[in-house]
Amino acid sequence: MLWKDEYELGVPVIDAQHKELFRRVESFLQVLRSKDRWEDKIPQINETLEFMKRYVVEHFRDEEEYQKSINYPGYKYHKQIHDDMVQYVQEVSKQYEQSSDNEDLMQQFGGRLLAWLINHVAAEDQLIADYAKKKGMSGNDR
Amino acid sequence: MIDKLYKTFVDATHNVFKLMLNISDISDHPADDFKSDETVDIAIGIVGDLKGEVIYRFPVSTSLNMVNIMSGMQFEEVDVFVTSAISEIANIISGNVLTALSEDMKCDILPPEQYKRGEEDKDYEIKTSSCISTTIGEICLEIGLNRAS
Ligand SMILES: [Fe+2]
Ligand SMILES: [Fe+2]
Repeated sequence: MLWKDEYELGVPVIDAQHKELFRRVESFLQVLRSKDRWEDKIPQINETLEFMKRYVVEHFRDEEEYQKSINYPGYKYHKQIHDDMVQYVQEVSKQYEQSSDNEDLMQQFGGRLLAWLINHVAAEDQLIADYAKKKGMSGNDR
Repeated sequence: MIDKLYKTFVDATHNVFKLMLNISDISDHPADDFKSDETVDIAIGIVGDLKGEVIYRFPVSTSLNMVNIMSGMQFEEVDVFVTSAISEIANIISGNVLTALSEDMKCDILPPEQYKRGEEDKDYEIKTSSCISTTIGEICLEIGLNRAS
Protein backbone atom coordinates (compact mmCIF):
# COMPACT_ATOMS: atom_id res chain seq x y z
CA MET A 1 0.00 0.00 0.00
CA LEU A 2 1.19 3.47 -0.80
CA TRP A 3 -0.06 4.99 2.44
CA LYS A 4 2.03 4.59 5.60
CA ASP A 5 0.74 5.21 9.11
CA GLU A 6 3.81 7.28 9.96
CA TYR A 7 2.43 9.96 7.60
CA GLU A 8 -0.41 10.65 10.04
CA LEU A 9 -0.47 14.19 11.40
CA GLY A 10 -2.96 13.60 14.18
CA VAL A 11 -5.49 15.94 12.58
CA PRO A 12 -8.40 13.65 11.65
CA VAL A 13 -9.79 15.65 8.70
CA ILE A 14 -6.38 16.09 7.08
CA ASP A 15 -5.35 12.50 7.72
CA ALA A 16 -8.54 11.20 6.12
CA GLN A 17 -7.92 13.38 3.06
CA HIS A 18 -4.31 12.23 2.79
CA LYS A 19 -5.41 8.60 2.94
CA GLU A 20 -7.97 9.20 0.22
CA LEU A 21 -5.35 10.96 -1.93
CA PHE A 22 -2.90 8.11 -1.54
CA ARG A 23 -5.62 5.57 -2.29
CA ARG A 24 -6.60 7.40 -5.47
CA VAL A 25 -3.03 7.88 -6.61
CA GLU A 26 -2.37 4.21 -6.00
CA SER A 27 -5.27 3.07 -8.16
CA PHE A 28 -4.30 5.67 -10.78
CA LEU A 29 -0.80 4.13 -10.90
CA GLN A 30 -2.22 0.64 -11.19
CA VAL A 31 -4.25 1.59 -14.23
CA LEU A 32 -1.42 3.67 -15.67
CA ARG A 33 1.09 0.82 -15.34
CA SER A 34 -1.15 -2.09 -16.30
CA LYS A 35 -0.35 -3.93 -19.53
CA ASP A 36 -3.73 -3.13 -21.09
CA ARG A 37 -3.96 -1.12 -24.28
CA TRP A 38 -3.84 2.62 -23.70
CA GLU A 39 -7.25 3.16 -25.36
CA ASP A 40 -8.80 0.82 -22.82
CA LYS A 41 -7.28 2.71 -19.93
CA ILE A 42 -8.41 6.16 -21.03
CA PRO A 43 -11.82 6.16 -19.27
CA GLN A 44 -10.28 5.32 -15.90
CA ILE A 45 -7.42 7.75 -16.43
CA ASN A 46 -9.93 10.49 -17.23
CA GLU A 47 -11.95 9.74 -14.15
CA THR A 48 -8.95 9.88 -11.81
CA LEU A 49 -7.65 13.03 -13.39
CA GLU A 50 -11.00 14.75 -12.90
CA PHE A 51 -11.11 13.56 -9.31
CA MET A 52 -7.56 14.75 -8.60
CA LYS A 53 -8.24 18.19 -10.00
CA ARG A 54 -11.14 18.65 -7.60
CA TYR A 55 -9.81 16.80 -4.59
CA VAL A 56 -6.34 18.31 -4.54
CA VAL A 57 -7.82 21.81 -4.50
CA GLU A 58 -10.26 20.84 -1.76
CA HIS A 59 -7.59 19.22 0.38
CA PHE A 60 -5.12 22.07 -0.02
CA ARG A 61 -7.82 24.55 0.99
CA ASP A 62 -8.74 22.59 4.12
CA GLU A 63 -5.11 22.11 5.06
CA GLU A 64 -4.40 25.82 4.61
CA GLU A 65 -7.44 26.65 6.78
CA TYR A 66 -6.05 24.40 9.48
CA GLN A 67 -2.65 26.10 9.24
CA LYS A 68 -4.28 29.47 9.68
CA SER A 69 -6.28 28.24 12.67
CA ILE A 70 -3.07 27.36 14.53
CA ASN A 71 -1.12 30.39 13.23
CA TYR A 72 1.34 28.18 11.44
CA PRO A 73 4.36 30.38 10.58
CA GLY A 74 5.16 28.50 7.36
CA TYR A 75 1.71 29.18 5.91
CA LYS A 76 2.78 31.41 3.04
CA TYR A 77 5.62 29.16 1.95
CA HIS A 78 3.41 26.10 2.16
CA LYS A 79 0.59 27.74 0.21
CA GLN A 80 3.04 28.56 -2.56
CA ILE A 81 3.95 24.90 -2.88
CA HIS A 82 0.23 23.99 -3.04
CA ASP A 83 -0.45 26.67 -5.65
CA ASP A 84 2.44 25.48 -7.81
CA MET A 85 1.12 21.92 -7.70
CA VAL A 86 -2.43 22.99 -8.59
CA GLN A 87 -1.03 24.91 -11.52
CA TYR A 88 0.95 21.88 -12.65
CA VAL A 89 -2.09 19.58 -12.43
CA GLN A 90 -4.16 22.07 -14.41
CA GLU A 91 -1.49 22.46 -17.07
CA VAL A 92 -1.18 18.72 -17.52
CA SER A 93 -4.92 18.17 -17.76
CA LYS A 94 -5.21 20.97 -20.29
CA GLN A 95 -2.52 19.39 -22.44
CA TYR A 96 -4.17 16.03 -21.96
CA GLU A 97 -7.56 17.32 -23.10
CA GLN A 98 -5.96 18.27 -26.37
CA SER A 99 -4.52 14.83 -26.95
CA SER A 100 -5.71 11.96 -24.80
CA ASP A 101 -3.61 9.53 -26.85
CA ASN A 102 -0.58 11.17 -25.30
CA GLU A 103 0.45 8.32 -23.04
CA ASP A 104 3.89 9.75 -22.31
CA LEU A 105 2.33 12.87 -20.85
CA MET A 106 0.37 10.77 -18.34
CA GLN A 107 3.36 8.54 -17.53
CA GLN A 108 5.39 11.66 -16.85
CA PHE A 109 2.60 13.07 -14.70
CA GLY A 110 2.31 9.81 -12.75
CA GLY A 111 6.01 9.66 -11.93
CA ARG A 112 6.18 13.21 -10.75
CA LEU A 113 2.93 12.99 -8.81
CA LEU A 114 4.14 9.91 -6.94
CA ALA A 115 7.43 11.47 -5.82
CA TRP A 116 5.82 14.83 -5.11
CA LEU A 117 3.03 13.43 -2.98
CA ILE A 118 5.29 11.23 -0.86
CA ASN A 119 7.73 14.04 -0.20
CA HIS A 120 5.05 16.62 0.45
CA VAL A 121 3.13 14.53 2.96
CA ALA A 122 6.19 12.89 4.55
CA ALA A 123 8.18 16.12 4.85
CA GLU A 124 6.31 19.42 4.34
CA ASP A 125 2.97 18.44 5.89
CA GLN A 126 4.71 16.87 8.88
CA LEU A 127 6.13 20.28 9.77
CA ILE A 128 2.57 21.48 10.42
CA ALA A 129 2.05 18.66 12.91
CA ASP A 130 5.44 19.32 14.51
CA TYR A 131 4.45 22.93 15.07
CA ALA A 132 1.01 22.05 16.45
CA LYS A 133 2.60 19.59 18.84
CA LYS A 134 5.16 22.10 20.02
CA LYS A 135 2.34 24.52 20.75
CA GLY A 136 0.38 21.80 22.51
CA MET A 137 -2.44 22.01 19.99
CA SER A 138 -3.03 18.38 19.00
CA GLY A 139 -0.91 16.74 16.36
CA ASN A 140 0.56 13.31 16.68
CA ASP A 141 3.23 12.03 19.03
CA ARG A 142 5.92 11.04 16.64
CA MET B 1 32.31 27.51 0.57
CA ILE B 2 32.80 24.36 -1.50
CA ASP B 3 32.90 22.25 1.65
CA LYS B 4 29.67 23.72 2.92
CA LEU B 5 27.94 23.25 -0.41
CA TYR B 6 29.16 19.70 -0.63
CA LYS B 7 28.00 18.88 2.87
CA THR B 8 24.59 20.48 2.34
CA PHE B 9 23.99 18.35 -0.75
CA VAL B 10 25.00 15.16 1.03
CA ASP B 11 22.79 16.02 4.02
CA ALA B 12 19.81 16.85 1.81
CA THR B 13 20.18 13.58 -0.09
CA HIS B 14 20.40 11.76 3.20
CA ASN B 15 17.19 13.39 4.46
CA VAL B 16 15.22 12.73 1.31
CA PHE B 17 16.28 9.08 1.26
CA LYS B 18 15.30 8.71 4.86
CA LEU B 19 11.91 10.36 4.57
CA MET B 20 10.86 9.13 1.15
CA LEU B 21 12.48 5.71 0.93
CA ASN B 22 13.07 4.85 4.56
CA ILE B 23 16.79 4.35 3.94
CA SER B 24 19.17 5.78 6.50
CA ASP B 25 22.33 3.83 5.80
CA ILE B 26 24.15 6.38 3.65
CA SER B 27 27.79 7.35 3.22
CA ASP B 28 29.66 9.62 0.84
CA HIS B 29 32.99 9.20 -0.89
CA PRO B 30 34.92 10.91 -3.71
CA ALA B 31 33.45 10.56 -7.18
CA ASP B 32 36.69 9.24 -8.72
CA ASP B 33 35.71 5.65 -8.27
CA PHE B 34 32.17 6.05 -9.56
CA LYS B 35 31.68 3.45 -12.25
CA SER B 36 28.37 2.93 -13.91
CA ASP B 37 27.75 2.30 -17.58
CA GLU B 38 24.15 3.30 -17.67
CA THR B 39 22.87 6.20 -15.68
CA VAL B 40 19.83 8.44 -15.63
CA ASP B 41 21.40 11.91 -15.64
CA ILE B 42 19.28 14.80 -14.41
CA ALA B 43 20.48 18.39 -14.56
CA ILE B 44 19.09 21.08 -12.30
CA GLY B 45 20.01 24.60 -13.32
CA ILE B 46 20.78 27.13 -10.60
CA VAL B 47 20.34 30.88 -10.96
CA GLY B 48 20.87 33.78 -8.57
CA ASP B 49 23.91 34.57 -6.42
CA LEU B 50 25.37 31.37 -7.83
CA LYS B 51 24.86 30.29 -11.41
CA GLY B 52 25.43 26.88 -12.88
CA GLU B 53 24.08 23.39 -12.55
CA VAL B 54 24.01 20.27 -10.51
CA ILE B 55 23.97 16.98 -12.34
CA TYR B 56 22.56 13.99 -10.54
CA ARG B 57 23.69 10.66 -11.94
CA PHE B 58 21.49 7.78 -10.90
CA PRO B 59 22.59 4.34 -12.13
CA VAL B 60 19.72 2.43 -13.73
CA SER B 61 19.53 -0.06 -10.85
CA THR B 62 19.42 2.73 -8.26
CA SER B 63 16.66 4.47 -10.21
CA LEU B 64 14.54 1.35 -10.47
CA ASN B 65 15.03 0.54 -6.78
CA MET B 66 13.93 4.03 -5.79
CA VAL B 67 10.77 3.91 -7.88
CA ASN B 68 9.98 0.37 -6.73
CA ILE B 69 10.17 1.46 -3.10
CA MET B 70 8.06 4.58 -3.66
CA SER B 71 5.36 2.87 -5.70
CA GLY B 72 5.35 -0.58 -4.16
CA MET B 73 5.28 -1.79 -7.75
CA GLN B 74 7.82 -3.60 -9.90
CA PHE B 75 9.55 -1.48 -12.55
CA GLU B 76 11.79 -3.36 -14.97
CA GLU B 77 13.20 -0.60 -17.14
CA VAL B 78 13.78 3.12 -17.15
CA ASP B 79 10.91 4.76 -18.99
CA VAL B 80 9.19 8.15 -18.98
CA PHE B 81 7.54 7.42 -15.63
CA VAL B 82 10.79 6.43 -13.92
CA THR B 83 12.73 9.36 -15.37
CA SER B 84 10.02 11.75 -14.25
CA ALA B 85 9.93 10.36 -10.68
CA ILE B 86 13.73 10.51 -10.45
CA SER B 87 13.74 14.06 -11.82
CA GLU B 88 11.29 15.11 -9.13
CA ILE B 89 13.58 13.65 -6.47
CA ALA B 90 16.54 15.60 -7.88
CA ASN B 91 14.28 18.65 -7.81
CA ILE B 92 13.31 18.03 -4.17
CA ILE B 93 16.91 17.51 -3.02
CA SER B 94 18.05 20.68 -4.81
CA GLY B 95 15.17 22.69 -3.37
CA ASN B 96 16.05 21.53 0.13
CA VAL B 97 19.70 22.48 -0.41
CA LEU B 98 18.80 26.02 -1.46
CA THR B 99 16.42 26.40 1.48
CA ALA B 100 19.20 25.26 3.84
CA LEU B 101 21.62 27.76 2.27
CA SER B 102 19.13 30.62 1.97
CA GLU B 103 20.76 32.65 4.75
CA ASP B 104 24.05 32.68 2.87
CA MET B 105 22.77 33.13 -0.65
CA LYS B 106 19.71 33.74 -2.76
CA CYS B 107 19.28 31.20 -5.53
CA ASP B 108 16.50 29.57 -7.48
CA ILE B 109 16.36 26.27 -9.27
CA LEU B 110 15.19 25.60 -12.81
CA PRO B 111 12.97 22.64 -13.73
CA PRO B 112 14.87 19.35 -14.04
CA GLU B 113 16.09 18.33 -17.46
CA GLN B 114 17.49 15.12 -18.74
CA TYR B 115 21.20 15.74 -19.17
CA LYS B 116 23.02 14.73 -22.31
CA ARG B 117 26.76 14.64 -21.90
CA GLY B 118 28.35 17.17 -24.26
CA GLU B 119 31.88 17.18 -25.58
CA GLU B 120 33.05 20.33 -23.89
CA ASP B 121 33.46 20.43 -20.14
CA LYS B 122 32.13 23.76 -18.94
CA ASP B 123 34.49 25.75 -16.77
CA TYR B 124 33.26 26.57 -13.29
CA GLU B 125 34.78 28.53 -10.42
CA ILE B 126 33.25 26.14 -7.93
CA LYS B 127 33.49 22.57 -9.02
CA THR B 128 33.03 19.52 -6.90
CA SER B 129 31.59 16.07 -7.13
CA SER B 130 30.59 13.39 -4.74
CA CYS B 131 29.25 9.89 -4.66
CA ILE B 132 26.70 8.77 -2.18
CA SER B 133 26.38 5.09 -1.36
CA THR B 134 23.13 3.70 -0.12
CA THR B 135 21.74 0.23 0.42
CA ILE B 136 19.91 0.49 -2.92
CA GLY B 137 22.88 1.71 -4.92
CA GLU B 138 25.00 4.75 -5.63
CA ILE B 139 24.24 8.28 -6.70
CA CYS B 140 26.78 10.70 -8.06
CA LEU B 141 26.50 14.48 -7.87
CA GLU B 142 28.44 16.89 -10.04
CA ILE B 143 28.24 20.48 -8.89
CA GLY B 144 29.44 23.29 -11.16
CA LEU B 145 28.80 26.91 -10.16
CA ASN B 146 30.00 30.43 -10.81
CA ARG B 147 29.51 33.41 -8.56
CA ALA B 148 27.25 35.97 -10.22
CA SER B 149 29.29 39.05 -11.03
FE1 LIG C 1 -1.45 17.71 2.56
FE1 LIG D 1 0.38 20.43 2.20
